[in-house]
Amino acid sequence: MSNVAKRQTSGLDKVLRVALYVCLLGMATVYLAPFIVMLLTSLKDVEEIRSGTLLSLPSSLDFSAWSKAWNGACTGSQCEGMAPYFFNSFKIVIPAVAISTLLGALNGYVISHWKFKGSDLFFAALLVGCFIPFQVILLPMARTLGWLGIANTTTGLVMVHVVYGVAFTTLFFRNFYQSIPVELVKAARLDGAGFFTIFYRIILPVSTPIIVVTVIWQFTQIWNDFLFGVAFSGFDTQPVTVALNNLVNTSFGGKEYNVDMAAAIIAALPTLLVYVLAGKYFVRGLTAGAVKG
Amino acid sequence: MASLVIENVKKRYGETEILKGINISIEPGEFLILVGPSGCGKSTLMNSIAGLEDVSEGRILIGDKDVTFSSPKDRDIAMVFQSYALYPNMTVAANISFGLEMRKVPKEEREAEVQRVADMLQIGHLLKRKPAQLSGGQRQRVAMGRALARRPKMYLFDEPLSNLDAKLRVEMRTEIKKLHQKLGTTIVYVTHDQIEAMTLADRIAVMKDGEVQQLGTPQEIYDNPTNLFVAGFMGSPAMNFVPAKVVEQNGAYALELQATKPTVLPFPDQESLKSYLGKEVLLGLRPEMITEPQPHKEGANFVVKADIDVEVTEPMGADTMVLTRISGAEVNCRSNPAYPAKAGETIPMMFDTSKAVAFDPANGQRIDG
Repeated sequence: MSNVAKRQTSGLDKVLRVALYVCLLGMATVYLAPFIVMLLTSLKDVEEIRSGTLLSLPSSLDFSAWSKAWNGACTGSQCEGMAPYFFNSFKIVIPAVAISTLLGALNGYVISHWKFKGSDLFFAALLVGCFIPFQVILLPMARTLGWLGIANTTTGLVMVHVVYGVAFTTLFFRNFYQSIPVELVKAARLDGAGFFTIFYRIILPVSTPIIVVTVIWQFTQIWNDFLFGVAFSGFDTQPVTVALNNLVNTSFGGKEYNVDMAAAIIAALPTLLVYVLAGKYFVRGLTAGAVKG
Repeated sequence: MASLVIENVKKRYGETEILKGINISIEPGEFLILVGPSGCGKSTLMNSIAGLEDVSEGRILIGDKDVTFSSPKDRDIAMVFQSYALYPNMTVAANISFGLEMRKVPKEEREAEVQRVADMLQIGHLLKRKPAQLSGGQRQRVAMGRALARRPKMYLFDEPLSNLDAKLRVEMRTEIKKLHQKLGTTIVYVTHDQIEAMTLADRIAVMKDGEVQQLGTPQEIYDNPTNLFVAGFMGSPAMNFVPAKVVEQNGAYALELQATKPTVLPFPDQESLKSYLGKEVLLGLRPEMITEPQPHKEGANFVVKADIDVEVTEPMGADTMVLTRISGAEVNCRSNPAYPAKAGETIPMMFDTSKAVAFDPANGQRIDG
């Protein structure tokens, strides 16, 4: 009797499992479809795009759109492609991610292990920073950058991203450091280590998971940012997202969809790469605080 | 080695007073135990000695030097934590030598010191491992090694054994005692385990609600508790408290209570009962003072035989605990396992009141002359 029952459930299990995979595959296709269309389109020439359908395969692999997008397409009056702006973005992202991550780590360390009078209030105030919409600070920030004399510069953009990112990075690090026992810091203090020595020798070495999370988060946020980029950058400090917008909006004659698509993929590549390389740490790090370590 | 003086130390968090004027002073080389239930302020006091928390009032002196406002690293003390607090990213050797490194001790000396400590605690084979690869007992040893390496003036132990299993706890307890005898250093040790307190301490400070209830040697605390709390906290099973009436018998004050029949017990400290004649007091009698009738004690001073009604018996191997009810209070007696006490029966027991104490039921204080 029980054997029969078992066989029946295992048959049902198999059906359910197949249904689950079909469902998952369907969802994956829906999510991947735009990217596939972009990729296919970027490999066709303009004539083929006009005659074929979105999903039809290119007749031959043609990378000319990619090379044009990289260093030939016009973004406004310049016709140098995406390349210079691609590097502009790196010049903004690398220092902004590094500085905001370091500041977030220090803030989190102070708020969780060196509590001072009002530190909880300070943390609550900092959290509000996570909820301020970008648009709200555009004007005051423009004035501030003007006063500081770093309007339209890479330095200015880095500063904006650091200021805006510190709220998030502090939150990440604070939550992670909350799970580090206070005794560890006490023991180090009795051993004679000071504030920065403890941070550098004891706290930072165990922070890898949360550093990975923060770097991915900040990299994605800052790389994909358009609003700050378009508002605060100068003519030659525009990030790649702004350049992509200009490239797509600039057209002499017919619209070159293949070039547009290639440019869009180029602009998205670094964030994709970061996720592929470090994605598993991201999930691991986000859940690290949830389980007792 | 250093003496420790705690003078009228108070600690307040806003309105709540955690420490209400602590006064303790111990000689160099003494083993002091702070014991009390959770929330009694013993850990706060420990952190204050370490300098990890500021005190609101009072002074702390280590070896005649006022350290009330010194930072932890300048107090020359080492601490062993309940959670061990080993640096997870460092090897055992690095953990032990970290304090020396911070004090700029040259590398060769550090290595020699690590070796010395490792030999002493028999952890030489673990030096290259990380804390995560150690068992609880091994972590405990490494934590002690880290404290020993600096050769500080004083050691602080914050419930160091409470994360270990029962067997290991007893082993490590003995080892800590051996270590203290070998090194002769001053130790302050926090625990909520009264057996640890009894076995390890030169002196015990029993704390409750931010106050020291009693400070004394283990035997003093055990034999002469100053109040009901101390009497009930130290000893396992706890001291029995029996309501009794002070009466006069043959020209001496004695205590009358209700076992199976009304029974009058003599009391050693005559002076103290004088003003309580005719009134009710609480008789404090340890379980081992109520035993099966022992022929050699027959007829001795302060020994009385009386019948009790057995409610429950609990064989413990070496002894059998006999539970009865005297004057309405539950009473534990310690009898020989061979003595045929059975639940529901009435049997004779021998009451030895030579070490009995009495408490005022109104305020719980010890009644003494």
